[in-house]
Amino acid sequence: MPDGDGQSGNEIEIEAVGKVFGQGDTAFHALSGIDLTIRTGEFFTLLGPSGCGKTTLLRVIAGFEHPTSGRLRIKGQDVVGQAPNQRLVNTVFQNYALFPHMTVAQNIGFGLKMLGRPRAEIAATTDEMMHLVKMEAMAARKPSELSGGQQQRVALARALAPRPRVLLLDEPLSALDLKLRKEMQTELKRLQVETGITFVFVTHDQEEALTMSDRLAVMNQGRILQLGSPHEIYHAPTERFVADFIGETNFLTLNVIAVQGRGADLALPGGRTIAARVAEGLTPAVGTTVSAVIRPEQARIVPQGTGELSATVEGAVFFGTDTHIHLRLSDGQPFTVRRQNNDDLADPAKGETVGLSLTPGALQVLRG
Amino acid sequence: MKRDSHRWKWILVSPALLVLILAASGPLLIVAVYSFLSPGNMGGVAWDFSTDAWFRVFFKRDIFEPENVTLNADHLAVFQRTIWLSLQTTVICAALGFPTAWFIATRPANRRMIWLFLITVPFWTNLLIRTFAIQEMIRNTGTLNTALLWLGVIGEPIEMMYTDFAVLLGMSYVFLPLMVLPLYAAMDKLDFRLVEAGYDLYASRFQVLRHVILPLVKPGFIAGSILVFIPSIGAYVTPRVLGGGRSMMMGNLIGLQFGQGRNWPLGSALAMVLLVIVVVALVFYLRITTRETGGRDGQS
Amino acid sequence: MASREFNVRALPGFGAVAIFTLVMLYLPIIILVIFSFNESQSQSAWGGFSLKWYVAAFNNSQVIDVSVRSLWLALVAAGIATVLATLAALATTRVGRFPGQTMIYALINQPLMVPEIVTGIALLIFVAFLKVQTGYAGMGYMVAAHTAFCIPFAYLPIRARLETMDLTLERAAADLYATPVQAFTYVTLPLLVPGIVAGFMLGFVVSLDTVVITEFVKSAGQDTLPTYMLGQLRRSVTPEMNAIATLFLALSLVVVSLFFLITRKRG
Ligand SMILES: Nc1ncnc2c1ncn2[C@@H]1O[C@H](COP(=O)(O)OP(=O)(O)OP(=O)(O)O)[C@@H](O)[C@H]1O
Ligand SMILES: [Mg+2]
Repeated sequence: MPDGDGQSGNEIEIEAVGKVFGQGDTAFHALSGIDLTIRTGEFFTLLGPSGCGKTTLLRVIAGFEHPTSGRLRIKGQDVVGQAPNQRLVNTVFQNYALFPHMTVAQNIGFGLKMLGRPRAEIAATTDEMMHLVKMEAMAARKPSELSGGQQQRVALARALAPRPRVLLLDEPLSALDLKLRKEMQTELKRLQVETGITFVFVTHDQEEALTMSDRLAVMNQGRILQLGSPHEIYHAPTERFVADFIGETNFLTLNVIAVQGRGADLALPGGRTIAARVAEGLTPAVGTTVSAVIRPEQARIVPQGTGELSATVEGAVFFGTDTHIHLRLSDGQPFTVRRQNNDDLADPAKGETVGLSLTPGALQVLRG
Repeated sequence: MKRDSHRWKWILVSPALLVLILAASGPLLIVAVYSFLSPGNMGGVAWDFSTDAWFRVFFKRDIFEPENVTLNADHLAVFQRTIWLSLQTTVICAALGFPTAWFIATRPANRRMIWLFLITVPFWTNLLIRTFAIQEMIRNTGTLNTALLWLGVIGEPIEMMYTDFAVLLGMSYVFLPLMVLPLYAAMDKLDFRLVEAGYDLYASRFQVLRHVILPLVKPGFIAGSILVFIPSIGAYVTPRVLGGGRSMMMGNLIGLQFGQGRNWPLGSALAMVLLVIVVVALVFYLRITTRETGGRDGQS
Repeated sequence: MASREFNVRALPGFGAVAIFTLVMLYLPIIILVIFSFNESQSQSAWGGFSLKWYVAAFNNSQVIDVSVRSLWLALVAAGIATVLATLAALATTRVGRFPGQTMIYALINQPLMVPEIVTGIALLIFVAFLKVQTGYAGMGYMVAAHTAFCIPFAYLPIRARLETMDLTLERAAADLYATPVQAFTYVTLPLLVPGIVAGFMLGFVVSLDTVVITEFVKSAGQDTLPTYMLGQLRRSVTPEMNAIATLFLALSLVVVSLFFLITRKRG
């Protein structure tokens, strides 16, 4: 596949980027050893808790922060030291940063005007963008006369109008209420597919990250912990933090009995053995204790005596579409099972002993 | 209940209002009245109605042929100089004050107060002393001329005292903090993410200044301009010390009419003219600010 | 490619203009202070360090006389103005719109808007009239004029303080069975003190600096330090004037510093 200006290839290459704020005693490592390649045309998400460095990384890409170390290339060109107004990258700011003294249309046309494009082109593109985000009717309004969702759409249109190679979006949906947020998620995804622009999206909402991204990176304390497709991140977390941050998880501490290739046999409480996947780059030693994870929906309650595990019911919590059943394994470790509420199964009674059947291949051994 | 609380308000404000009416507003009305009286023999007024003072503000009669009326060129020159010098002062203060305020507003937060303090100190030091300091700088034997002579830049002292330049320099010097402070207040509230958004959208430094920063700090600019323009228009001390009789402003012309044996009604009429200019400037200011803020409330 | 950091807060040349402006703001004052310690009479050639001009100033009975007058006038005028401004601020803040409000604001702020020279000659006329009618020619006119001029300056910080004050504190006090008077004495007033002190200090400095109004209101023998200096400036100036100005500057500096500290603490 050619690595030119086509659909594939690498849009942004980040190599060993570090960012330190302050000096001496007050030095703070906001980013450490970030290695990341973002492909052309993909919807890439940076996910992580507050303060983990997502905005900082985005600002490094946009050119507002100068990396303390490392390299950054956009479409193969080294851009460290290049001013933000020279990078073909646009940002949708966390609080939109719409110009309060300009109308919606003026905001959207601003980038093209600064680029010195002819009036007719600015007008045409502005109209097109307003159509794209369904804001035609409000062209003459000032940002203060718009609702949160409308402001969000203007910010998006403003950043898209100059047709950047890359669009950086810093928690663009965090100020919206749940319903609007869902709508805008679909909208954003549609715009990304329609325009083919590379999106780098920042969020601390794991559900948002999973539903929207082609690939995502989970960050914590200035580092990237895991990089992969939503499916990989959800089903094959490599670190405890990742597993814990995304979705609900059962952590089990188990003994390694045998190791073969990318898998390992683990001893379950009650004596049975189970095959588990092992996180990349990890080779557990036989006889040691490891930490393994399995999602609550990857276990089923079965009659006592069947299944790989035996557990005592401690309680059940109704969540509408599903029910969480809290259990305790025979060796005392807690375990939660999620059961969809589409069958008429009665919840097991508190104190009852049941069997547990685990989805084959679902158990994953974590690093550390 | 409501009426009762209003009564309390009036009781509380009335002492202040009484002093203000007696010692500030009331006398202004007397000035208005005096401008329609005839001058007394030894200063003061004679209680006859006359529009002569107003006539003399703008026109003058030939002493020998009273029906020969011409524009009062002396007065008009003073009016013109006053307005022109005030506008120039405002422009100079804006040109120096904007970068200064920006410089302060972009210092790290913990050091900003020190810079602000440095601007505020001259603001609260005696205007007369600051004018005196300028006089000492620009006199023929003053620091500036001495330094230039010593350096060999000039062969003989430059005459700077009692010129329009001296007045302009002095007024710009004494009124500069009045421009910096409101500008700083506006810049302090400036959302720098908007500046970042400007750069993100390919604006150059100059374009960001023109399309983002200037429109956003405009209220501070307008406030600063009016705060400099109004005292400049009414300046008395600075033109008196630095301009003397040669570079007189309206304030000095008014003051002169109240010396011994001068013309109080004419002085009163001139004072009313000055007041009208100030009121026009203020109305202009209010109209701009209400238009600027009308319909929307601050930033998003 | 220059690998320089991009600073969104930087604008080219602004730092240089700012430094130039700040230097120019202080240079004349610093030179004035330096030459107050000059042994020789020159304002431009240094003749060695000396305090003789300070000694001369302190031995000049006229200087002492006008300085004392300036100080007590400023204390009295600022004191009265602060009391009046506090009452006015209490009545006009946090009450919503009420009839007469615009007129009150206009009256209070009038001394800020009307040029001093206009107020000055207006007072001259009025005082001349009163002197003839009453025969009284004392300092009362000066006190009244300075008080009126100080009111808006004293009013501003007090009002600002009142506006930012937490209303719930007064309600809490009322909730704890305080009468309105008790709530005012024990809650509002103590919280208002920094504003009142700031207002007094502003008024004090303003009264001390006022030249024009004093110049036109004063009767013979009622010169203040600024009007005395204004009169002297017409004659040839000796460094004694620099010494007096330096002392005056020092006093202003102390008051401004205190003002800055007081108003800053709440910010
Ligand atoms: N200019 C700065 N100076 C010093 N520290 C900074 C600066 N900017 C960011 N930091 C620190 O760097 C860390 C990462 O900040 P960043 O804004 O990237 O977090 P984030 O992941 O975007 O968080 P959030 O989800 O809350 O937006 C934080 O601990 C922050 O305090
Ligand atoms: Mg952030």
